[in-house]
Amino acid sequence: MTATSDDIVITGVGLAVPGLGGAADLLGAPSGTDGFDPATGLTGREMRNKDRASRLALHCAHTALRDAGLVDADGYTGDRDTTAVVVSSNLGTLEGLCQAVDTIAEQTVVGLSPLGLPGTSSNVVAGWVAIRYGLRGPNLTVCNGATSGLDALYWARNLIAAGRAGAAVVVGVEPANEAVTRMLGRPSTDVAAALVLEPARTAAARAADGRATIGRYARTADLAGAVAAATGGAEAIGLRLTGADLEARLGPCSGALGVLQVAAAAAHLSGGGRGPVLATTGGAPEDDAAAALVLTACGH
Amino acid sequence: MSWDITGMGAVANLGATPEAVFESLCAGQETRTPLRAFDAAKYRAQYAYEIDDRAEPGRDEPLRASRWLTSVVADALADAGLGDDLTDVPVLVGTTMREQRSAELWWRDGAGIGPADLHFGTPLRRAFGARNTYTFANACSASLYALGMAADLIETDMADTVVVAGADSMTESAFGTLDKVQAETPRALRPFDESHLGMLMGEGAVAVVLQRAGTAGRARARLRGVGMNCDAHHATAPDHDGITRAVRDAHRRAGVRAEDIDLVMLHGSGTPRNDETEAGVLAEVFADAGAGPLMTAIKSMTGHTLGGSGLLSLVMAVIAFEQRRVPPVLGLTDPIKQAAGLRLVRHETVAAEPRTAQIDAFGFGGINAVAILEATR
Repeated sequence: MTATSDDIVITGVGLAVPGLGGAADLLGAPSGTDGFDPATGLTGREMRNKDRASRLALHCAHTALRDAGLVDADGYTGDRDTTAVVVSSNLGTLEGLCQAVDTIAEQTVVGLSPLGLPGTSSNVVAGWVAIRYGLRGPNLTVCNGATSGLDALYWARNLIAAGRAGAAVVVGVEPANEAVTRMLGRPSTDVAAALVLEPARTAAARAADGRATIGRYARTADLAGAVAAATGGAEAIGLRLTGADLEARLGPCSGALGVLQVAAAAAHLSGGGRGPVLATTGGAPEDDAAAALVLTACGH
Repeated sequence: MSWDITGMGAVANLGATPEAVFESLCAGQETRTPLRAFDAAKYRAQYAYEIDDRAEPGRDEPLRASRWLTSVVADALADAGLGDDLTDVPVLVGTTMREQRSAELWWRDGAGIGPADLHFGTPLRRAFGARNTYTFANACSASLYALGMAADLIETDMADTVVVAGADSMTESAFGTLDKVQAETPRALRPFDESHLGMLMGEGAVAVVLQRAGTAGRARARLRGVGMNCDAHHATAPDHDGITRAVRDAHRRAGVRAEDIDLVMLHGSGTPRNDETEAGVLAEVFADAGAGPLMTAIKSMTGHTLGGSGLLSLVMAVIAFEQRRVPPVLGLTDPIKQAAGLRLVRHETVAAEPRTAQIDAFGFGGINAVAILEATR
């Protein structure tokens, strides 16, 4: 497929998933070497006094920006005024609020830590990512249930297509903790992925590699409807990445899921795998909708 | 380009329709009440601007924000003359807390809440068959962010009609942490007054129907543009430069000059940092705009309704256009020095004929959204 002037492509991918080294590890058996370890990967000055979801997000955002060739020793090298941040997370702030409720009950508000203030608002992760890299474009947090990660990609694309942003850092993140485990009813896992989105012409102008092109998206009542709307019923799909397949390997991914799927799609397509890739999430009985997103190989 | 606002719904401490809320704002009475949502003995702050609709006094219930949201969306659709089938209509909801109050009640009291209850797509699907729904947790600029992205959907031909909403109920964790952090404890929200000590939370929900210009017969007002950005400066404090850029971006998108604005619905959260920063920015923006616009701050009577507060301000601006009057900033007797040159409405409602309004909304994470609205009368 040839890039058109309106295409929006993925130019950087980063993961923070325990044991995984990179997005290619999402497709097959992890190589096992240089896998992410939260015990060592979430340390350092930038991580201090931040909630776990924010630390996971900062880790993978940095990898994605480096992968896109958009960071150097002085920080972000793209246009700070027009770079958007879009974060998907459903459960990232859950533990903090549960702890605050317990603290208030036991000690009144006197026992609360002022450091918890940013985390009382569900957009805490997006704020920290913007501050870390000086990203002053639109800053959006999508908390939209099972489809949230794919929805975040859709809105990042919309912000670029509408001319509000010249690039976007998209992060999907969920932390592992007791509150999340109780809410989900199964063991929670640390999962995060980040993607850098740019117009194809911007990527071409700076000779950056496009890993995949964002195609059609739909959010509708059920999976069959979402797939039909996203593919138009016509396209032959090279690879279908279902949320269930990925969660069977990684554990529950919630708001990180769609972003992880698109990271896997980018690895598949940039590795020469057959496209297009169809990513689907949601559609379970408890979900309010299902979503599908098509990704294609980048033209050269 | 411009967009028609064809229907509105709102609920807050002051009333359950936009007109009722506006009427109460114009009455200019103190509206905050003793804290009832939580055990007041655990907090320094003893007042809030709650919607007191619990079945049993003193016993909080889950899913109140979802309930209010469903109600205001139904009202906005009826006002627009549309049915309540949203199968093919996108719904964009801006919120600070989502249903995190329900999660608190789940954690502490075992309320029957699951992951699908935390976002608003679930009640919107149930009530209206809506599938194309989005919950944006964009702090206290959320509903104006949602409005801007709704306008984008129409501009890029992805929709002709979009429902935009905001909803929040107070959470213990946020009310408590703010209470802990504020150096002094406010007894009321007093924006731009020397006596301001900080923010007190309110509750509410608000919805508008946004349509491609000319799609519907009657437009109650016309949206001219929304600017949105991020300070990338501080996790919770506002930033002069970021807010200035958001205001100027909104003016540019709307194709208006500062002197064209005749009403500003202020963010006015009553924290000294917000009020000083917002007043300072507006003093600069309107420095060469003659007498400058009238300004008011509804949080002085609604409290800070969080994610929906920007859209609630916008709905109040529509009614100010229609009724040709602007309610006062309650309790403003001694304006802070940064606001000295601003035409803040004080003491009582004033008669006025505003045609173009600017609506401010700023949130944690340094995220700002500013909308420009035009009268259709």
